[in-house]
Amino acid sequence: MTEQPEVPPKAHDLPKDAAHRLEELEHGLFTSDLSVNEFLLVKEAGFHPLGFVMGSSIYHIGIQTRKWGESQELSKLTEAMYTARELAMNRMEEEAEQLGADGVVGVRLDVNYYEWGNDSAEFIAFGTAVKAEDGTSYLNALGKPFTSDLSGQDFWTLMQTGHVPQALVMGTCVFHIAHRKLTQALGSMGQNVELPNFTQALYEARELAMTRMQDEAGRLEASGIVGVRLEEKSHQWGSHTIEFLALGTAVTKSSGEVTLPKPITIISLDN
Amino acid sequence: MTDGQVGAAGPGEPGEPAGPAEGAPGTDLPEAAVRRLESTAFSSGLTVPDFAACLDLGLQPVALVQGFCVMQWGWYGQGSGYMRGMSPYVGGPQSAGSYSETYRCPHGFVSNEHRSWGQNLEQPWVEAAWAQGYGSAYQRMIEEATAHGAHGVIGVVDRVSSVADTGTTEFHFLGTAVTVDGGPPPAGGVPWSTYLAGQRLTKSIEAGFMPVAVVAALASVRVWAYCITEYLMEGNMSWGSPTGPHLIEQVSKAHMAVRQLARKHVRQQLTGDELHGATIDVVARELSQGDEVIDCTLRGNRMRRFKDFDQVELPRPTVRLS
Amino acid sequence: MSTGFDPGAAPRPDVRSEMLLGARSLAAPAPPSEARGITSDLSVDEALLLHAAGWEPLDLVCGVAVVSVPVGVWNWGRGAISLASDAHDQAVDQAAAQLRGECSKVHGHGVVGVRVEVSVRTHHIDVELVGTAVRPIGGKDARGTDAAQAMPFVSDLSARDFTLLQRAGWMPVGLAFGASFVYAPRRTAGTAMKQTRQNVELTNYTEAMYSARESAMEKMQHSALHTGGQGVVEVKVTEGPMSFARHAVGFTAWGTAVRLVAEAHQFVKPQVVLPLDDAVVTFDAESLRGGAAKGRRR
Repeated sequence: MTEQPEVPPKAHDLPKDAAHRLEELEHGLFTSDLSVNEFLLVKEAGFHPLGFVMGSSIYHIGIQTRKWGESQELSKLTEAMYTARELAMNRMEEEAEQLGADGVVGVRLDVNYYEWGNDSAEFIAFGTAVKAEDGTSYLNALGKPFTSDLSGQDFWTLMQTGHVPQALVMGTCVFHIAHRKLTQALGSMGQNVELPNFTQALYEARELAMTRMQDEAGRLEASGIVGVRLEEKSHQWGSHTIEFLALGTAVTKSSGEVTLPKPITIISLDN
Repeated sequence: MTDGQVGAAGPGEPGEPAGPAEGAPGTDLPEAAVRRLESTAFSSGLTVPDFAACLDLGLQPVALVQGFCVMQWGWYGQGSGYMRGMSPYVGGPQSAGSYSETYRCPHGFVSNEHRSWGQNLEQPWVEAAWAQGYGSAYQRMIEEATAHGAHGVIGVVDRVSSVADTGTTEFHFLGTAVTVDGGPPPAGGVPWSTYLAGQRLTKSIEAGFMPVAVVAALASVRVWAYCITEYLMEGNMSWGSPTGPHLIEQVSKAHMAVRQLARKHVRQQLTGDELHGATIDVVARELSQGDEVIDCTLRGNRMRRFKDFDQVELPRPTVRLS
Repeated sequence: MSTGFDPGAAPRPDVRSEMLLGARSLAAPAPPSEARGITSDLSVDEALLLHAAGWEPLDLVCGVAVVSVPVGVWNWGRGAISLASDAHDQAVDQAAAQLRGECSKVHGHGVVGVRVEVSVRTHHIDVELVGTAVRPIGGKDARGTDAAQAMPFVSDLSARDFTLLQRAGWMPVGLAFGASFVYAPRRTAGTAMKQTRQNVELTNYTEAMYSARESAMEKMQHSALHTGGQGVVEVKVTEGPMSFARHAVGFTAWGTAVRLVAEAHQFVKPQVVLPLDDAVVTFDAESLRGGAAKGRRR
């Protein structure tokens, strides 16, 4: 199946402390984890940082039974990894909405493991909420603040090309790779040979992840995805179970033309 | 620092002839060093870009030089601190002007184990021993360089480490000896030295700073804890004070003092020159009952300004497209 | 920020003659000098940039504080570990006060490039701050009358970031910091069993960790407002369990509080460049400049 579960947005499920902190930010203080370079470039692009926003969710990633000899997607685990990240991202977006932001830049998704949480992990999303200084609205096709994992530099460059970010889109797939039977292993010992079930399995898994990511972008009516990253992690499941995560920023053309000045080519003389 | 070392000299190069080492009388270089320095090919610890920058400046690498020294801290036996009558109740021999601060317990008589008296003490004998080890290793490196007729040593790497559990410390210096094309020998025949090499050295020279030497100093402070410090370091509440976190004044002061002392010792070696690119390393060893020994090493490049700062234009900010 | 080859720029002064000048300056023994001997941990690039912006380094300054944590604080409990947060705050305040004291002693206007080291141990929390005190060139005690400016500023921005920010019309005012410590919540046996077979959010854990993180950020904001800042840049968030008590988790948030001092933000208008380097090309370019005369290339 290539459908991803819909996560119903929970209204107002941010903790009390978050509410206090965001209120303070609305009184004019801004916070951001942008470096000085990024801060200056975000200002150049016509935006002002509002505040550091984050969302987190501790999720239990349960056991899913699988057949030792078959390569298959572990759909329950896929669902869990996807839902957990979505929850974290939604909370981060909610914080941004409370601040009246147009979008969030520099989004980072992290996974933390704690010793006391067996089979569970904390998913965190961080970013800096920004707002356009000239009052134009940059909310995305769903009426929410845009999210993107673009750095301050990439954000400025993107805006100069006449595109605006829509949302951080992701597709995930947790795949179990079949263990090879003893006879198979002995049969190919000492030869340079392609391992068809591995090839097939990894190909399929990556395709699933990327297709899901594209579907998300499609729902936003984006014209394209930039900065796609494909990550592969075994987390805590052992080496035959891998999560493939495809992440990228969906963008659409804005009304503006390309204002990126012709670059000067240089040969840098420092090392 | 020493990846991609550059090897033999180019053919037909009319550089400084690397003659046999003169072996100045009284030098204590090992036999192997003397033989190595007699060879005509130069070796250097410079990376390829550093080597290129070095030639740009008109510096000719001459030899890879090193100096080494192993020191033992004498705590037992003849000539040791123990024999010099140092004890918790007397303190060590203090040179005039070294740091010490006393703390007295505010309680009345409590018990025989109660530490009614404490002191922060600078340990000049440790500092002197370290300076001797560092200085000897540095001297030997400079001797090797002088034996080659070098004007300076660049790209110095200094390493101070304890050899396992033996209570010894080794000091190791490594650098590339160079001559300045058409330049005069340095005053007193002692080559200058610097941690810098390559582009960073070029920028220093362009900015008007000439390296003089690599300088470093160790400051060592011993904390003999008194009762309040002991209680706080072990997490007990101090009697009669409200519960809660407390600033541990004795230890905080000792930490501040050790860094200020290291700075003071280094400044004495500068005699008016400037120290650039300083690094501070602090090692604190917690002993029992709140006692502690804090050692702070400050090292950097001693530089002398030889021309005024040219007004440098603020560089143009750029955004890279790759 | 690369100092790239700009075809329109003036030719660089000849470095060989500079080197000779430098070497000659050491040939004669130096006359005795009364200069105090600046010590600074800035690199050459940073010192140059600082100078180009009209500031100069004065001295290496530091501040250290060790604050005790009462025994029993790390034992398993519920909710926030306020004693640990208090100890942390006290240690940072004290260390920053020491740093400012040292800065004022050398007549500095502020400290840049502060390296922050926080070490949380079983019985005490240690904070060390080390940086370089700076002031406008030649300016001695030209301070504004505004109280916030009378206190030396402290910032963990590098000298480079400081000059960039300053050019855009902003100034750092102080370090903004916040920390919160929390116990990991416990599940009852029944709940634990029920959750084993499901993929489900652990709401009490989420609440506890999320709250603690927010609380650290909130404290950082308070601290920024307290120093008179309008914003905080370069926020760094660290989190993790204590090495000596794995069920206690600490969150810290640090940044530099800044304030707009110019009339309005000054835009930097960066130039877009497309570097054509890779390692081989770089080397060849350098050799073209100095190697032709020497002919020494492999």
